[in-house]
Amino acid sequence: MAVPVAQAWTVATYVLKQKLKGRKRYPLVLMLEPLFRCNLACAGCGKIQYPAHILKAELTPEECFRAVEECGTPMVSIPGGEPLLHPRMPEIVQGLVDRKKYVYMCTNALLLKEKLHLFKPSKYLSFSVHVDGEREHHDFGVCREGGYDIAMEGVRAAVAAGFRVTTNTTLFDGADPHSVRRHFDQLMDAGVDSMMVSPGYTYDKAPDQKHFLGRARSRRLFRALLSNRKKRWQFNASPMFLEFLMGKRELTCTPWGMPTFSIFGWQKPCYLLQDGYADTFQELMDEVEWSNYGTESGNPRCANCMVHSGYEASGVNYTFGSLKGFVATAKAFFNWQYKDDDAAKLLNDWQPTSHGPLVQIGTPVISKASAIENHDTTAVVGS
Amino acid sequence: MATEQQEHLKIEQLQHETPDTQEVAAGRERENLEGWIPALATDAETREALEKAFDYRGDVTLTLRSGEALEGYIFDRKQGRSLTDSLVRIIPSKGEQRTRRSIPYSEIAALNFSGRDTAAGRTFEAWVKKYWEKKAAGEKNIQIEPEKLD
Repeated sequence: MAVPVAQAWTVATYVLKQKLKGRKRYPLVLMLEPLFRCNLACAGCGKIQYPAHILKAELTPEECFRAVEECGTPMVSIPGGEPLLHPRMPEIVQGLVDRKKYVYMCTNALLLKEKLHLFKPSKYLSFSVHVDGEREHHDFGVCREGGYDIAMEGVRAAVAAGFRVTTNTTLFDGADPHSVRRHFDQLMDAGVDSMMVSPGYTYDKAPDQKHFLGRARSRRLFRALLSNRKKRWQFNASPMFLEFLMGKRELTCTPWGMPTFSIFGWQKPCYLLQDGYADTFQELMDEVEWSNYGTESGNPRCANCMVHSGYEASGVNYTFGSLKGFVATAKAFFNWQYKDDDAAKLLNDWQPTSHGPLVQIGTPVISKASAIENHDTTAVVGS
Repeated sequence: MATEQQEHLKIEQLQHETPDTQEVAAGRERENLEGWIPALATDAETREALEKAFDYRGDVTLTLRSGEALEGYIFDRKQGRSLTDSLVRIIPSKGEQRTRRSIPYSEIAALNFSGRDTAAGRTFEAWVKKYWEKKAAGEKNIQIEPEKLD
């Protein structure tokens, strides 16, 4: 079961309560960012580029708990930065578990094995390990050779210790669906409960500005990837969101669905964009001009976005918003395989886009055609 | 929040393609703002410069009309109708961690992008290039190391 029954029930009753209250906008998952410090410097990440005094700053457990109480979501995701670098993370996680919040502690797992003993297994706690693909893909994505092996060691250690473990895979242009499908097999072999997958967002601060998937390519990739599924693959995602990724369903963005709280306050408008900060959750909900965001708004920064932080809540809202949505979701449970001959052909014919050595670390030399003229000598590449 | 000039690649792309037909989404051209001291002679210049300062991922130095120099990270700005009711919110780089100050635009006499732009100078291409150089030299465990904070 991708999402435990108790959790699904909690989320369903929460959403229905919001509907009964007539709340037009309600949050589903709090994105709690207790720090921006990280022990990786990933190519596609635009979250950690700050001056040292900002990177050293942290939310206190009390601030975390206040934020959780303020927005009232049944689920809390803890991204970052790398949460395991926060010295009081076990205390924060335990406090959220005590409040019966379903916690996804996101981690690159470099420190997971050594810090595992600081946490207690619970149905409320899941380690969400970021693994971006098979070994070579992941290592290039996180700009660290050997990163995959450490992450998977962390996954296996957490599974062995009785923790719930989910994974989070972000895909960029050049992703090969054959490889990602093998990656899904490897993750399930390692004993993970379920997997999340999403296209990367065009972070304007990310080092890599050339491999952000556009919507057309995203849909083809996810159709090839998620059609003709294997029974053993469990996804920690709304079926409607996965259908949206596959191009089978239109959804509009729900930027308030996963509000973000960090050392700066409540981020306007969403997890991905930074248009300022509110001091309270209510202020966030009241002050943001929501119609300015989402692909349909014409905002260029939202144009290609298909990220779960904007659309997962849309999928859940669709499920509970009407009988039609509920029936569509029920159908998705029975039609879990998404058999699709055209998608099978698409997969078989898939030609991975080559970005020189990026997609093939084993390639011994860079071809002249793909070598990039680069005058940047400030990148810190060390061992 | 970026300015239109900073987002021109995405804006131009959307003039030729709808979001649904995009294969690869345009990113952003890097703008070298480090060390820049913009003119703040007009309201428009002030607003534009402070919008860029808000988007900038490094510390800036504000010189206030009182003569005080304030160095820190601008994490928020609120745009009002006039410079008096527009403000930046800044976390000073020195002093107690995470103290915040709100400074009306009208009190800012000068702006200097004085701190290092932490989002510049680490292009992915540089990583790929250096990776292969190091690989060819027989090095192991090659990586981009995160910033040292001390």
